[in-house]
Amino acid sequence: QEAPTIRWRLTSGFPRSLDTIYGAAETFADHVKAMSGGKIEIQVFPAGEIVPTPQAAEAVATNTVEMAHTCSYYYWGKDPTFALGTAVPFGLNARLMNGWLYQGGGNDMLNAFYAKQNLYGIAGGNTGVQMGGWWRKEITSAEDLKGVKMRIAGIAGKVMEKLGVVPQQIPGGDIYPSLERGTIDAAEWIGPYDDQKLGFNKVAPYYYYPGFWEGGPTIHFFINLDKWNELPEDYKAIMINAGAYANTDMMARYDTLNPGALKSLIAGGAKLKPFPQDVLEAAFAASHEVYDEISASNADFKQIWDSMKAYRGEGYLWYQVAEYSFDTFQIRNRTKG
Amino acid sequence: MKGLLRLSGVIDRISLFFGWISAGLVLLSCLTSALNALSRYLFNISSNAWLEVQWQMFAGIFLLGAAQVLKMNEHVRVDLLYGPRSHRGKLWTDVFGIIAFLFPAMLIMGFYAWEFFMTAYLSNEHSSNAGGTVLWPVKLLLPVGLFLVLLQGISELIKRVAGLRGDSDETLEYERPVQ
Amino acid sequence: MLEYGYMAPTMFAGLVCFLLFGFPVAFSLAALGLFFGFLAIQVGYFGPEFLQALPYRTFGIMSNDLLLAIPFFTFLGAVLERSGLAEDLLEGAGQLFGPFPGGLAFAVVLVGAILGAVTGTVAASVIAMGMISLPVMLKYGYDMRVGTGVIAASGTIAQVIPPSLVLIILADQLGVSVGDMYLGAVGPSILQISLFLAFILVLALFRPALVPPLPAEARTLRGWALALKVAKGMVPSLVLIFLVLGTIFLGLATPTEAGAMGACGAILLSILHRRFSVPTLWQAMVTTARITSMVVFILIGATVFSLVFQGVNGGRWIEHMLSSLPGGRTGFLLFVMVFVFFLAFFLDFFEICFIVVPLLLPAAHALDINMIWFGLLLCANIQTSFMHPPFGFALFYLRGIAPPEVKSRDIYWGSIPWICLQLIMVGILVFFPGVVTGFIGEHEELDPAAVQQQLDNLVVPGIEAPDTEGGLPGLDIAPAPDFSEPAK
Ligand code: NA
Ligand code: NA
Repeated sequence: QEAPTIRWRLTSGFPRSLDTIYGAAETFADHVKAMSGGKIEIQVFPAGEIVPTPQAAEAVATNTVEMAHTCSYYYWGKDPTFALGTAVPFGLNARLMNGWLYQGGGNDMLNAFYAKQNLYGIAGGNTGVQMGGWWRKEITSAEDLKGVKMRIAGIAGKVMEKLGVVPQQIPGGDIYPSLERGTIDAAEWIGPYDDQKLGFNKVAPYYYYPGFWEGGPTIHFFINLDKWNELPEDYKAIMINAGAYANTDMMARYDTLNPGALKSLIAGGAKLKPFPQDVLEAAFAASHEVYDEISASNADFKQIWDSMKAYRGEGYLWYQVAEYSFDTFQIRNRTKG
Repeated sequence: MKGLLRLSGVIDRISLFFGWISAGLVLLSCLTSALNALSRYLFNISSNAWLEVQWQMFAGIFLLGAAQVLKMNEHVRVDLLYGPRSHRGKLWTDVFGIIAFLFPAMLIMGFYAWEFFMTAYLSNEHSSNAGGTVLWPVKLLLPVGLFLVLLQGISELIKRVAGLRGDSDETLEYERPVQ
Repeated sequence: MLEYGYMAPTMFAGLVCFLLFGFPVAFSLAALGLFFGFLAIQVGYFGPEFLQALPYRTFGIMSNDLLLAIPFFTFLGAVLERSGLAEDLLEGAGQLFGPFPGGLAFAVVLVGAILGAVTGTVAASVIAMGMISLPVMLKYGYDMRVGTGVIAASGTIAQVIPPSLVLIILADQLGVSVGDMYLGAVGPSILQISLFLAFILVLALFRPALVPPLPAEARTLRGWALALKVAKGMVPSLVLIFLVLGTIFLGLATPTEAGAMGACGAILLSILHRRFSVPTLWQAMVTTARITSMVVFILIGATVFSLVFQGVNGGRWIEHMLSSLPGGRTGFLLFVMVFVFFLAFFLDFFEICFIVVPLLLPAAHALDINMIWFGLLLCANIQTSFMHPPFGFALFYLRGIAPPEVKSRDIYWGSIPWICLQLIMVGILVFFPGVVTGFIGEHEELDPAAVQQQLDNLVVPGIEAPDTEGGLPGLDIAPAPDFSEPAK
């Protein structure tokens, strides 16, 4: 039987200017086209050209477009379980996320949930641990967080709210002038490479780390479930492989681009600061309160979060032996050779 | 024609009513925004809910107000060719425009908007911000607003046809003052 | 059918026909989009389910909180106008000029510049400016072409004076920082305001009848009496306008919220001046609601058009046009400016920013063009599109608020000299990039050694300096994990 020709539209959740993230969708499309000998052609549209990002998942579910490349957690307002597909505070880092998705049952559980939304998900990118955002003043203890007005979205905002932060999701265009004048005190974005373009180092110089709410956020390709089920097996394999490549490639790009960006941010006045220990501990406790609250009323969330949490325990048990020792030794000797 | 004109009168009053709500939301959204800014500045107290109701009221302003704007004939036109037309020519322009442009646009958009609302309603969708609001009420505004414009379109069509038949002496001038 | 095909160019031709027909713009745009949508479904560009994107996009407009500036600033303008405070302000300016012509127009440009500095959106400032100044200009016998032209032009200044939504979005698309973009905008803002003022001066000198001074009977006062009257008229509104700026400056309000603060301030001011009445306030609310509906419905119509335009691969069509760019810096810039100028007749600013600008970037980078300079060139160019008859958005907004005695042809003809002024400005920016780059200055940069120092001083959490600063101190890595019972 002749292989069918497929022409799909993909709406990205990101603008072209976020080249590393947006670019992963084009990488995916290029590889799918090459592997299928041109039979599968996926046209990538930046966020908003067809549908705005907050509607991208619904647009795929209703087959308005066949595919999206976006963050699952943008849609957690429909069901909190969506948040687990990308990242939750104190979740997994990028490598453990992949371990859990590919080998720890994560993909299967998530896709069982996505199927209820008429979606099929393929992991397609990771930013690695993000930064903790730009702050106008220093945070020396969890006490300092009280009354801090911060632009921080999603479940992370809910956690920060428990610590006394006032989450304010002001319009994107208002962030810079508001941060400059102190209308808000802090705003978080991604990591050095993407943050560099916003120039927040000029108006809110304290650059905190780690962004504990996004330890290894996975970006997903979402495909309309009916369209996915109609695909011949070889096409499915092609897409899964192209997704795996895009997943690795985005992380590789960030690992390559972030060091230089970090240096030029520091040169431009950014002051690197680690979150104090009690902030991390308070946030850790607050996060688990939130998960318990959601788990009490949402079986999907509970099942998937429990699995992720168990994987985290096992994963870090192994990490603290060889990985951590090797990494810390390498870090200490970074400058020597 | 008499009965139809009476229907048109009823529709006009419905639009006027929603026009009042729309006007009320102007002041309400302004006060909400100003008070939220003040309380955030003075007491570090605010919530994303206060930010969200502002754009939800904004949506209410234009969706509930659009029918009244249509009634007042204040939706802007490119009047390069429209302006010089005779009175009857202008009436015909509107008869054609309402049937061929306005009705299909509002029907098709309204149909999809209803499904859009139902999806949010059935999943009880919330906004994705901490402390955010339930979204179906504001999503309901969309089909309602489009339906109100459609309804007002019917009223305007009746008035234009009555004007063409000489059953109505309403002027229906376009360039009427806003004030 | 994923190639760009003939559909996208046909849509532009269709746009002209549909809009010229004379039915309201909002519904004509939507109907045009749907008309081509059905053609596209027949031809096979997409299925009917593609149109489900319509509510998604409309909801994007509903939930775009930056658009709140439209009702807020319109309300501010309406309260100032209804309460007579605006008239006092502009009449005060007119009094200052005494028998010299052009006073009102100068005041409009300056107030437009200040409002422009506050609002990010053209709709908000054109409408607010129009409500404040058109009635006064009519009253004192201004030529309507000059009057509407100066208002549309002053309203579009909002684009280039920081804080500006246009500059923020352009900065994002061009990958430069908003702060640098704002600094780069200082020169062009001054240049633009000067050009406008110079034009009015020329009119005042050579065609004083078009911009008459206040009539003799309106300026009987002299000396202290005059100063007092002027102060009483102008000071409250000026204080209000600076308060609006001040709330941003103090960190009290975001630029969007500043509009709401301003509107509430205007109500308070009218109470203090004993000009307040409930019917006046109600009229201002009703006017604001109607203007907001009118403006946003145009945006909704436009979103139907651009959805289908994207669906028939309009983006690829534009890409194709740009693939034949001429080489060389000057050739490239000239082509881009002319191309964007014509595209801007049809596409609104956001579409140009999101569709066209990213396509220009690779070539601009290859030619080593300063991105901030490039951005301000684009910005100045796009401003022109807002003023271009008969489809300029600023003209639509002005038409929406102008009293009936102002004819559309006045608005159209009135815009032309200002378009020429803007083109002169684009020319100056092209040939004298220093106007932009001169204000950016050198960044204070740490030297590489200092950067290295900061990086080397970072604490390696939990190892060298437990329990000191941040990270994960006190982590006990001593006991080896128990491997006797392997994890499942
Ligand atoms: Na982030
Ligand atoms: Na501005």
